[in-house]
Amino acid sequence: MPETVFHTEKLVKTYRTGGAEVHALSGVNLDLFASELTVLLGPSGSGKSTLLNILGGLDHATSGKVMFRDLDLTVQSDRALTRFRRDHVGFVFQFYNLVPSLTARENVQMVTDIAPNPMKAEEALERVGMSDRIDHFPAELSGGQQQRVAIARAIAKRPEVLLCDEPTGALDSSTGVQVLEAIREVNEDLGTTAIVITHNAAIQAMAHRVVRFQDGNIASVSTNETRVAPSEIVW
Amino acid sequence: MHALDKKLLRDFRRLWGQSLAIALVLACGVMILLTAFGMYRALDDTLAAFYERNEFADVWAMTEKAPRPLLTEISALPGVQTAEARVQEYLMLDLPGRVKSATGLALSLPDTGALPTLNVPLLRAGRLPDPQATDEVMVNEPFAEANGFEIGDTFEALLSGQKRRLTITGTALSPEFVYAIGPGTLMPDDESFGILWVPQAMLASAFDMSGAFNSLTLSLSRDAQEDQVIEALDTLLEPNGGTGAHGRDEQASNAFVTTEIKQLKNMATILPPVFFGISAFLVNMVIGRIIALERGEIGLLKALGYTDVHIAAHYVLLAGLTAVLGVIIGWITGGLSARWMAGEYAQYFKFPYLIFNVSYDAYAISGFLALLTAAVGALRSAMGAARLPPAVAMSPPAPPRFKRSLFDRALAALRLSQPSMMIWRSLFRWPLRAAFSAIGLSLAVAIMISVGFFSYSINSVADIAFNQSNREDIVLLFTKERSLSALEDVRNLPGVMEVEGELFTPVTLRNGHLEKQLSITTRGAGASLARSIDEAGRVVEVEGPGLLITTRVAEVLRLAPGDPVEVEFLSGRRETFTLTVAGVTEQFFGLGAFMTREAMSRLTRSVPQISVANVTLDPRQDNAFNRAIKDTPLISGAVRVTDMKASFDATVEENISIMNGLFSVVAILITVGLTYNSARIQLSERARELASLRILGFSNWEVSYILIGEIMLIAALAQPLGWLIGYGLGHLMAASFTSDLYTIPMVLPPAAYATASVVVLGTALASVLLVRQRIDRLDLVSVMKTRE
Repeated sequence: MPETVFHTEKLVKTYRTGGAEVHALSGVNLDLFASELTVLLGPSGSGKSTLLNILGGLDHATSGKVMFRDLDLTVQSDRALTRFRRDHVGFVFQFYNLVPSLTARENVQMVTDIAPNPMKAEEALERVGMSDRIDHFPAELSGGQQQRVAIARAIAKRPEVLLCDEPTGALDSSTGVQVLEAIREVNEDLGTTAIVITHNAAIQAMAHRVVRFQDGNIASVSTNETRVAPSEIVW
Repeated sequence: MHALDKKLLRDFRRLWGQSLAIALVLACGVMILLTAFGMYRALDDTLAAFYERNEFADVWAMTEKAPRPLLTEISALPGVQTAEARVQEYLMLDLPGRVKSATGLALSLPDTGALPTLNVPLLRAGRLPDPQATDEVMVNEPFAEANGFEIGDTFEALLSGQKRRLTITGTALSPEFVYAIGPGTLMPDDESFGILWVPQAMLASAFDMSGAFNSLTLSLSRDAQEDQVIEALDTLLEPNGGTGAHGRDEQASNAFVTTEIKQLKNMATILPPVFFGISAFLVNMVIGRIIALERGEIGLLKALGYTDVHIAAHYVLLAGLTAVLGVIIGWITGGLSARWMAGEYAQYFKFPYLIFNVSYDAYAISGFLALLTAAVGALRSAMGAARLPPAVAMSPPAPPRFKRSLFDRALAALRLSQPSMMIWRSLFRWPLRAAFSAIGLSLAVAIMISVGFFSYSINSVADIAFNQSNREDIVLLFTKERSLSALEDVRNLPGVMEVEGELFTPVTLRNGHLEKQLSITTRGAGASLARSIDEAGRVVEVEGPGLLITTRVAEVLRLAPGDPVEVEFLSGRRETFTLTVAGVTEQFFGLGAFMTREAMSRLTRSVPQISVANVTLDPRQDNAFNRAIKDTPLISGAVRVTDMKASFDATVEENISIMNGLFSVVAILITVGLTYNSARIQLSERARELASLRILGFSNWEVSYILIGEIMLIAALAQPLGWLIGYGLGHLMAASFTSDLYTIPMVLPPAAYATASVVVLGTALASVLLVRQRIDRLDLVSVMKTRE
């Protein structure tokens, strides 16, 4: 039995906009396992990003429970959540979120400066195949290259979990494949638990497990008997 | 270097225009603080050192003639440390190569051949006159320099009717004449007024003062009560024609210098806070917007695990860098200008040296205040940024909430164009921001008005003083009080057309516990040369036995027409009377009170007397007149009103244009700081909106109108407030400049308001046009793609 990294129980998140209450998550129960690559699949507004934010300590749940190993994230202070993110979590976002005034290397150093046991920024960039663009500013990189720098930034701290929110959402198919390749390598080579959010059904083929979301709850969970390499995925 | 620090430096470089605009405003505050404080310290230290080293006296007294032995009694008064007696006389001087006469104040030097013990002249060149000599004199250095005298040069002086050629043996500077102002004049004129140090024997024999004195100086012991000493001294001198002793506060030179020092100190404490306040607002505005634009990055930093303290510090440091830039600019310019201005002051006031200690505390205080200002300005926004929950920060901000209100219905009724509607809506969507911008700009307007009024005031002062009140060409000073027949002698001088006499009588005016020493001016009824003018510019005639007083006296003694006032004469029979205030008149220089000759004569039961003659001259006979008065024994000096007006205009005009120039620069910097930053922020906030309009087919200028319109609308709304604050600030300035020495009236014609508004609006327009160019360069496609 693989080790459980994240465990959620009756996880609820409601937002208030105007007078109306919106249930982003309505009682999610989910376990995510170590070294697993999980794809969370679902249409926009199905609650997958909200779940990712709560798992990553970016947001608080309205009710229910979230455990990261033995740590109950629902009762942690902001300061403790910051500590948790710094020590354990790597994020990759749809729009890369690189700091435009810093080079590729410096963007990665943003993380290595504060993480307890980071790899060198150069090493992280090499892992994503960006060694030759190390001193380029974001504006001098293509979208795919920027996203690979973002992945390098996320893995440089040697996180236990890599949370990717629509990592290929802003990319074309062939560039997207390079990014997925980088995520798979991190998952396989470093044993990092990877959770990838997407609304692109094609991507589910590379996952160990696929969790489908619908209207703030899990519609189904399936395990891939045979996984497909990212290079074979087309959309 | 950490990646976050690199980001900080790059952000700072990217925002250099906005940072510089803020830094310059901060620099202004730092510079003014350093300059005013540096000058204040330099003048204060120099004055204190000069006074201490050269034994500046504590008390002065004049008598008609007192026997020398009285000095022993005076020295024995409790509290008196040193008492020194001397002879002091005004002399008519005839300087080689100068047609016009000059006046000399002759002070006797001790018989011993030593320097006086009090008010010790500091020898600058040559030597003291020989105590036995009858033709040697030491003069004050500025007088020698202004007239091109060298040691050994000679000039002629009229001593008791006897013309004598005097040889200059040395030059000196005295703590008593740091600001050397001649009798009856408004400002120093070193060419026509000199201090002469003359051997005691020579001066005493010329003025029948052997074994006697008419001038007394005292130094007091540390624990002495000045008013008690003065009271005791007045009692002792009364039988000898004492005219009332006074302390340092009424010593002319000291009063002028200390007033100036006080004003510098005021300037150092009043103005810089204005700049720091505006800077804090600018920093808040700019950092606030940077943070709004960097929401995503802040969210990212939080997602990466940066703490709230890290993030808040990052933005406070960004403001800190701006402050450091401002402090550096302020320190450099302030340090230089303090030294330069102190040097100028040392020239203006006659100090032998200038003690300019770099006041590290002023540097430290100004630097600290500037950094604090920036930190305070940035802190609120930075803390807000740090507190944003990361998930919220990462998502784009919700569109600003515009609500339909009463105001919208009003706008709709006006049928404004959509761009105009956008301008008004945005103004009312962020009313606080608009209000702060408007307040900042109104301060720029106010600062200009608050000094701009000076030139109008001074023109009005000059007009009333020289064209309306004192219409004579020359005031002739008599050696002592004369009967009216002296006017006939003056009338017989060549070129004299009109002559009127005036008498100055030293008195103490009292209203309850309030009192002031001043001179009552007595004139013939219907005098047409020297006249009194009221606030409305009408000639005020004194009628009957009443006393006319000046506005300043009325204020200080809290008197109004019809009130009784106690008048104690300080000469003659020293009687005390109660008179009625007959009216109030405007007079800008010194304190004054006026009576008719007839009333004065009846009051004092004595024949009418005069101490000066006001004269109008036939200009063609100017030279003959000047030659004649140099040989007229009864005259000790001549004040040329036209020269006085010219030198007044020159000095004042120069000072005022420097000050106007300086404050215009300051107002411009504030305006640039506010409008440039507002425009940049507007542009970055509205880039998408403006680009959308461009895509919809609006022209560059139609789009620019929105940007320019909002800022100019705020600038226009700021004007009335600026006028109001300027009016108040001007009143404060006028009041802070007003003393017993002079009164600054508040004259603010519409032109003063207009000038300030034109400068501020013009600067605002130029700044926003500078930013507007960026609209032409908007890359429409990329702007539309950029995610907020």
